[in-house]
Amino acid sequence: MRKIFIFVAALIAVTSCGLKEEFQPVFSGTPGNPPAYKYYTDDDFFEIISIAQLSKMYTTGKPFEVEDDITIKGVVVSTDQPGNFYKSFYIQDETAGIEIKVGKNGLYNEYLLGQTVYVKLQGLTVGMYGYKSGNYGGMGMVQVGFADSTGEYETSYLEMSYLVDKHIFRGDPSQPAVVEPVVITERDLPNPKTDSQATNKYVGRLVTLKGLKYEDQIFCLLYLNSSKDKKSYTNRVFLSDTNGIDTMGKTHGVTTWAMSKNMMKDYLLAGYWDSCKIGSGQDFVKNPDGTDMTLGDLKGDGSYPDVEKAAYSVSQYFKMGSTEIQVRTSGYSKFADKEIPRSVRDGSATLDITGVISLYQGAIQFTVNNLSDFVVNGKPLE
Amino acid sequence: MCKRFIAILSALLVCAVSFAQGYTGGVKGTVVNRAGRIPVSGATLTLVKGGEQIASTTSDAEGKFLVENLEDGVYAMTVMAPGFTDINVNVTVDKGFVKDLIFVSMVETQTIENLDDSSFAEFDMDDSGYTDNPTILFGQNDVYTNIAGYGFSSVRFKNRGYNSESQDVLLAGVNMNDAITGYSPFSLWSGLNEAMRSTETSMGNETADFGVGGFNGQTNIQAVPSSVRKGWRFSLLTNSALYRFRAMVTYASGELDNGWSYAFNASARLGGNDWVEGVYYRSFAYYLGVEKKFGNSHRLSLVSFATPGQRGAQNASTQEVYDLMGDNMYNSNWGYQNGKVRNSRVRKTFEPVTLLKYTGNPLENLEVNATVLWRTGFNGYTALDWYDAQDPRPDYYRNLPSYSFNDDEDYGRLDDVKYEISKEMWNPAIKDYANYQHLNWDRMYNVNYNSIGGRSKYALEERHVDQNDFNVATSVKWRQSDLFTLTAGINARINRTENYKKMNDLLGGEYFVNVDQFAERDFASNESVIQNDLDYFLNNGHAQNITKGQKYGYDYLAQVRKVNAWGIISLTKGGFSAIGAGTIGYTGYWREGLVRKGLFAGTYDEVAALNEKYNLTGTSRELKSNGETSFGRSETAKFLTGSLKGQLSYVFVGGHRLSANLGLYKDAPSFTNSFVSPRTRNTLVGNLKTQKTISADINYQLSTSWMNLRLTGFLTQIYDQTDVMSFYDDSQQSMTNFAMTGIAQRHMGIELGVKVPLPVDGLSVAGVLSFGEYIYTKNFKGKNPYMVQTVDNSAEVIRKEEIPYWVSHPSFRTVVMDGETMYDVDNDGNPYVKGQNKHYVPSTPQLAAEIALNYRTKSYWFFELNTQFFARSYLDMNPLYRTHVACAGPDGIETPAEIAYMASQESLFLPGKSHVKDHFLLNASIGKSWYIQRKYSIGFSLNANNLTNNRGFKTGGYEQTRLIKSSSYDRYYRFDPKYFYMQGASYMLNVYFRF
Repeated sequence: MRKIFIFVAALIAVTSCGLKEEFQPVFSGTPGNPPAYKYYTDDDFFEIISIAQLSKMYTTGKPFEVEDDITIKGVVVSTDQPGNFYKSFYIQDETAGIEIKVGKNGLYNEYLLGQTVYVKLQGLTVGMYGYKSGNYGGMGMVQVGFADSTGEYETSYLEMSYLVDKHIFRGDPSQPAVVEPVVITERDLPNPKTDSQATNKYVGRLVTLKGLKYEDQIFCLLYLNSSKDKKSYTNRVFLSDTNGIDTMGKTHGVTTWAMSKNMMKDYLLAGYWDSCKIGSGQDFVKNPDGTDMTLGDLKGDGSYPDVEKAAYSVSQYFKMGSTEIQVRTSGYSKFADKEIPRSVRDGSATLDITGVISLYQGAIQFTVNNLSDFVVNGKPLE
Repeated sequence: MCKRFIAILSALLVCAVSFAQGYTGGVKGTVVNRAGRIPVSGATLTLVKGGEQIASTTSDAEGKFLVENLEDGVYAMTVMAPGFTDINVNVTVDKGFVKDLIFVSMVETQTIENLDDSSFAEFDMDDSGYTDNPTILFGQNDVYTNIAGYGFSSVRFKNRGYNSESQDVLLAGVNMNDAITGYSPFSLWSGLNEAMRSTETSMGNETADFGVGGFNGQTNIQAVPSSVRKGWRFSLLTNSALYRFRAMVTYASGELDNGWSYAFNASARLGGNDWVEGVYYRSFAYYLGVEKKFGNSHRLSLVSFATPGQRGAQNASTQEVYDLMGDNMYNSNWGYQNGKVRNSRVRKTFEPVTLLKYTGNPLENLEVNATVLWRTGFNGYTALDWYDAQDPRPDYYRNLPSYSFNDDEDYGRLDDVKYEISKEMWNPAIKDYANYQHLNWDRMYNVNYNSIGGRSKYALEERHVDQNDFNVATSVKWRQSDLFTLTAGINARINRTENYKKMNDLLGGEYFVNVDQFAERDFASNESVIQNDLDYFLNNGHAQNITKGQKYGYDYLAQVRKVNAWGIISLTKGGFSAIGAGTIGYTGYWREGLVRKGLFAGTYDEVAALNEKYNLTGTSRELKSNGETSFGRSETAKFLTGSLKGQLSYVFVGGHRLSANLGLYKDAPSFTNSFVSPRTRNTLVGNLKTQKTISADINYQLSTSWMNLRLTGFLTQIYDQTDVMSFYDDSQQSMTNFAMTGIAQRHMGIELGVKVPLPVDGLSVAGVLSFGEYIYTKNFKGKNPYMVQTVDNSAEVIRKEEIPYWVSHPSFRTVVMDGETMYDVDNDGNPYVKGQNKHYVPSTPQLAAEIALNYRTKSYWFFELNTQFFARSYLDMNPLYRTHVACAGPDGIETPAEIAYMASQESLFLPGKSHVKDHFLLNASIGKSWYIQRKYSIGFSLNANNLTNNRGFKTGGYEQTRLIKSSSYDRYYRFDPKYFYMQGASYMLNVYFRF
């Protein structure tokens, strides 16, 4: 009997050793909450330069990888929460604003509006998006991203968490700067042919424009099939001021800031765009009989089976004085289907807007964070 | 000592009385080990009649025994021997003759001892639509299942290739297969090995006294206290493959003089294992049973058991991830939190089962059984949930090197710099990168800390499937004569299962918002449509804020009703027997939505009423009906089910038996495969039909003192199966629901089991072979399965067509021109089809073999060494890859190369000589029992599995459903599949103490 107990005791001892070892890494309860992140200050960085200084280092058409240990510092002025910014955010300092191409969703969760952010540039690439040469072109926006080894763009998204954590550092979120947008006049607006963040301090920053008048015109690019080459003219339909306006005019019936998937589908099935030609001005796709192919030709049984139903961004055109402003809204934004107030559309009221001002191929574009950034008669839209 | 003296005295007294009465009847026979018919010496045989012990004896060195001077009548004989499972048989002594039982076969305890759930890995397959459970039948009386049942479980072997649902598992006569999914519910009693040890089984198409069964056999666990081995038993187990430690205690009183029996069994299984990080057990189990015998012919048993606890689960990953981590056991479910390993997928269960069983013999030749069983409690499974935040899964495809670069430029992944960085990030040697290689709990908490207002963006949900399952099973067995026996019964089931999820952990936040973020992608501007609980929103003006413990997301009842009548007629004449059996039944079920979801708010009239009631018309919150409903009761799916079976068998002189079975079955589809998207709406799959099966087998068995053999050939054809899954369709850029109907399979093969003693005393060799072809076939009309694909957010039907390459895909003729191999085409440009490549039923080896050498000594040592071989196992197929859309690519042109690539099915075994070793496993076991003062028994068993540390053995896997557009926009590429691997070398040491 004694032997039995000795044997059992020995076995318990052996297995208990195993238990001790096993329970250490495999914790089956709920561990305590982890600590909050460390927040960075200027002292953590070797050299901080301004956004304008960084922009000046860039020469049009020549993206470059930063070799020195330099850092830019700014407060976050954009949010992707309502869905109008996508996979990147803007930071601004006193000299300009710049887009950081992070390449991840839900960035507003990680980098709060007004939070100071440091971008350690060594190893990152500075480039421009939206530059177009020639008389009909103009400047784009200087951006910070990663080298694009495909050569398609001047920068690419950082994308990988490892890269993001290595280059983007958070300041103390408990003391967010209240980012007051600067109200600027037409005179302050950048010259989209020549200006950039290096020369106009409002480019890439959060500003307010007042007294904008609706131009009764939109621009929207539809794709027939997202699985096919989106750059091919055979896959594109431009809802512009020239294509297919005989039915619904230059707005193509679009009275909202953008078009969600369902709204786009409703408009398509309503036949509003049946006369819109497929392709571009120089290269319209032809029917077998030689006529220009239109969306109406793809109607089929009424469901337009060959046309992709997806959310689409829309540029609504406004005028600030004599300067044209494209207010660009994503079809994936939460307010995509919100109507532009009738009073704005019929010209009886003007619009005040707050958002990030940017340049694209010689045009001034404007992107708001949220619907409430549109103000009509002193009242934010909701 | 005193008790012993009294027992001896009693025995002597009984003998004296018996002798005095001068009876001439008796019982004799030989106690043998069922495996190999090796005599078992020292077995104790006890005969009880009328609650009194009448006689007791022990078997001699040759296993022989004889009890004489018995009065005519029925005796309950118990046979006990060290290292063997106790058996209870009824012996009838008639007309004063000595009844010759010939052989009393005992089953080695060791075989069963190993057979706890440590043999089965728990896998996390919920998100993939891949489901599986252990499917091995644990036969106690068959050489094939004795070996294959345990030996092949480590590779997730499926008996004859059948799904787990096809195996009927009964408890005290009640069918316990899950009412919703049909799966075998082993987890309900895992850890209660001792209480659930006594089982009755039938194989394949065979019938049994407890039911007609299906085509994949039946197992009935007796579960009543009188079936639990008498006495105390303690055991400790340590195991490197699944959990570290198990302690178990069992007590059974046996039948007391007053007719009562008591039994309890309790266990704890704790700890992780050596192979898969994050997998752990903290599971407990209890069994309490009480039984009363009334008079000589009535027994009533009351049993309650449950296995409360939790255990962490494993996940599958792609080979790329395994290679990066240098570990095929990598588990993406866990991450470090405050330095502790925390698993995000934890199953938490407490499902008590209570049963009341009556057994009676109102007449000598009539046996009646009736069981009432109730299963209740909860079954939760945690998972990460997130709203509008980054995908937290470490092995999300965008986090992998392959997302940046592929050698094939057509993938359009050309960023070799990011590729190198990403590879570095996955270097397991660099501990600083642990938060990229595993879940980053710190980041999730910090996101929640910083969230304005305390709204959690990451949370841990707990998906519940909480059953209330009420069953009644009755049966009668009437033995009219030795020639004719009738067994019949009626079973009924009412199941009400609530499916919902609740908030388990807000991960540092204060609340989670109850909206559907997938609906938000399409209907962001309409707050009503995105609500998970629309009524709450309409009544309160805002979405519900969820705090810990609250239900959210979805909540519905699955209501199942089943009734089934069955009967078996058995005719026996000499060595010939014939059995005819049949069932007829009704299955009905419906869904009952407990919350109204904004996407599917109701019928046109209901939605109009809601718009009017809440003044939504003309506002941005206006609801639109798509005719689908999420709230209230769905249409009832009704099915008439049934089966017919026949068996002929003949026992020849010399222990030869030949038998043949034929069965026709008509089964209802499972609830889960009958609703297009049960979490969101009441919509039934269109054209639902019963599953039809025809199955036949023919068997040859040989049982002699020198050889035990069974050879079976089987053929089963299944028609009209249904399957439902949900996945993101890249070609549609939408989350979709995919319903397949008309799936057909054919299972054909042989089973061989043989055990032969060798010339050395106690040495025997055993072998099994399972070789089959389990393939998908076309249906009655020669057609492929039919699919209906709908958009999850709108129920819009986007595809309705046959799945052309589900059953097989064509192979095309090739020619070599100018040194280049290309597909040969006819004058019209059409490729020549050379033949068809079959597609196989997945995730089980279709060829499995084992050969084992056993040595057992008279001093109760045993040794075993076995080697196993497995081959022909295939990956679980995704139907999307077998459609024209996927094979044609964005350009809509289907080429032979695209079909060959997209539609082919992958073998889980890599080809080539260098991978031959992956097919083999080598295992060994050793054990010993000691008996002390003939009162105490202590023993151990040690199993060492996979001694060659084979870590390249894939036990299963599935294809992902995503598609990659080629940069030339003319074709799609697949996402990499995900695999499960078997653990490397592992051990299990079990020590027990019994008295």
